[in-house]
Amino acid sequence: MQRRPFLTCATAAACGLLLSTAAHAQTTINVAALADFAGPYANVMNDMQGGRLAVLDWWNKEVGEKLKVRIAVKTYDTRYDVAQTASLWPGIKAELKPALVLGLGGPDAAALQQRLPEDKVPMLFGTAAYGFGWKPGQWALNIRPTYAHEAAGFVEWFRATKLEGKRPVKVAIITSEATPAYADMAKGLQSYAKAHPDKATFVEAIWTEVQPADLTLQVRRLANAGTDVIVIQTNTAQAVATKRALQALGKNIPIMLSLHNGVAGSSRALGDANGFAGDFEVGAIADASEDDTTARKFYRVLQDKHGLKSGWNAMTMIGLGQTIVAVRAIEAAVKAKGADKVTGEAVHAALLAVPFTSAELMGLLPGVDFSADSPFPTGSAKVNVATMKDGKVVRAAGDVAVPTVPKW
Amino acid sequence: MDPSGIFSTSYASDSALVRTRAQWLALALFGAALLLYPWLASPRLVAVANLMLVTSIVVVGLQITTGYAGQINLGQAAFMGVGAYGASVVEVKFGLPFWIAVPAGGVLAALAGWAFGLTAARIKGFYLALTTIAAQFLFVFVVLNLPSSWLGGVNGFSLQPARLGPLVFDTDRALYYLFLFSTAVMVFGAFGILRSRHGRAFVAVRDDDVAAGMMGIDVPGTKARAFVLGAFYAGIGGALWAYQIRFVSVDQFTLFNSIWFIAMMIVGGLGSIVGALIGTVLIRIVQESITTLGPDLIEFIPTLSSDIVFASMNVFLGLVITGFLLLEPKGLMHRWNIFKATYRLWPFPH
Repeated sequence: MQRRPFLTCATAAACGLLLSTAAHAQTTINVAALADFAGPYANVMNDMQGGRLAVLDWWNKEVGEKLKVRIAVKTYDTRYDVAQTASLWPGIKAELKPALVLGLGGPDAAALQQRLPEDKVPMLFGTAAYGFGWKPGQWALNIRPTYAHEAAGFVEWFRATKLEGKRPVKVAIITSEATPAYADMAKGLQSYAKAHPDKATFVEAIWTEVQPADLTLQVRRLANAGTDVIVIQTNTAQAVATKRALQALGKNIPIMLSLHNGVAGSSRALGDANGFAGDFEVGAIADASEDDTTARKFYRVLQDKHGLKSGWNAMTMIGLGQTIVAVRAIEAAVKAKGADKVTGEAVHAALLAVPFTSAELMGLLPGVDFSADSPFPTGSAKVNVATMKDGKVVRAAGDVAVPTVPKW
Repeated sequence: MDPSGIFSTSYASDSALVRTRAQWLALALFGAALLLYPWLASPRLVAVANLMLVTSIVVVGLQITTGYAGQINLGQAAFMGVGAYGASVVEVKFGLPFWIAVPAGGVLAALAGWAFGLTAARIKGFYLALTTIAAQFLFVFVVLNLPSSWLGGVNGFSLQPARLGPLVFDTDRALYYLFLFSTAVMVFGAFGILRSRHGRAFVAVRDDDVAAGMMGIDVPGTKARAFVLGAFYAGIGGALWAYQIRFVSVDQFTLFNSIWFIAMMIVGGLGSIVGALIGTVLIRIVQESITTLGPDLIEFIPTLSSDIVFASMNVFLGLVITGFLLLEPKGLMHRWNIFKATYRLWPFPH
């Protein structure tokens, strides 16, 4: 009779051991996250980082546990500086052995784009791409097409809905020569207009400061030229100066903004909660509209169950978007190669081979299909168009197809 | 200062850079440590050393222009950029090897420096500072507005790894030796220049340009030469940087970088080549330590959120630099010189 408690204890211990072995059988895949908590993006980094961590937590609990895989993330502050990223990378590669890197922006791409193919580690960006990165065989990939593609998608939608397809849209852009990124947006839009003269007429690129004081003269010139739409991407100061100029001139030309300088943020900067009413915010990623979209539902799940504290805004969306593609790519690599054989090369192969649908990406993106020819999706690229009404961001159109834009 | 009883008996010994056996021994040990470093250090530390070496060349150039010749220069990063673009054009457009591309980058940067050196002959102080800031902006506008077939425009330049016969400098370790050799040559050259007639003219112009002119020194020419030399060093540094990153774009060479170079020079000590090296190494160590400490702190104390940790780290970095400037405004080399004089003369006070 005395052997029974002993057997019970032994069985329990064996079960515990087995369970613990099973727990230990879980494979950990490392991901490096590059962040900027001390440079120009410090004030918005928390939202983006919150998005990244919530998606990883969701995937680990909902998908990873079933696959016996855990994705571990380690964050590095690059201060948005090429030199800092370059000096950090050899250490990240040697110590963390990441299967994928979550990048932030231009400095990360500049520092690592030549090294990643040799080190065989892919890097994903949540921002739109740039024409200067449009080269084949890249390992630094953007989950969205270029800013010019996004603007072109909007221009075609604007022509079809506002001009009823009767004539080409007269489009102008206000940007800066301060950085290659700003200059690239204008060159890309020019390239699109040149290739599609029936859809768009390029009025002018206004080159101004990054933080202009006044744009009245320039905007008057655009108004006199009969401009239908003014494109201003990723710069809130230029958007505000243009709006003030339009108000001063008594003109009402719609402004197309990107997610970085969306209608809500620009209205706040203007000092009027409804300041950008009737203007547009465009991106190939879920917009921050109040509509009950799939992305919004997923966001609520992350808030309720996975500790997401970031607001419903563009930076959070960028973090969510890049990480959902990352986890789906890792998931595809696990299924293709087995959990213990997931390397950077396997994840890169999965990124190129697997077309990720919008449903798989929880509605955050319209679908992502990378190819070896371009480091951003083109085939499945679609943009969402949001506008402002009574101080709220509302969706004007969803899944608007992005046209082809020749390389510039 | 040498202690009483120790004096040079020939011109050669009086002008020698390394004067005693102990100094030779220390130099040999230091050289051996530098050569062994990439085999003993982690990959991250080798990458950090590479950045330090490249930056050292640029800061030594700034030391010549500002520390020795007294010509303020807030555009050193732009000259570095000219060197990087110059080397890239020479390699990508003309297909020339890196050992031609790197000096060519230096020469092109020196030409740009000469243009700004001419303005230095006419203006000084805040006006010169503003002019050199203009170099920073001109560099960006010129690169972005020239036809992209010339300087790559917004696309920048991608480079292949540096090659020298069968040697390919495509790893951090290989690059380390390339950069170490280049830095040694450039530093040795800087010592030579500064001990020459030109170097003495730089110091004379810095201390009092009117008096220097009265003594027969060509003041405008000396100021222009200081800019040419400083920009040449920046150009060499920029060309080597281009081979390290293998992608060159204008936003890698910002005014912010120029300010960091000045901080490195001031922390090390104005008017000292070794000071420029020490300042570069020290600032970089502090920057890198803080960058490394951040992720580890978050890992060990998960309750601390990333934004608090990383922001605090950078406040700490600012405090360290401010502390240096408050406690030792003449730079670390000044403190080292006092210490050296003290131990050489010990136990005598003078």
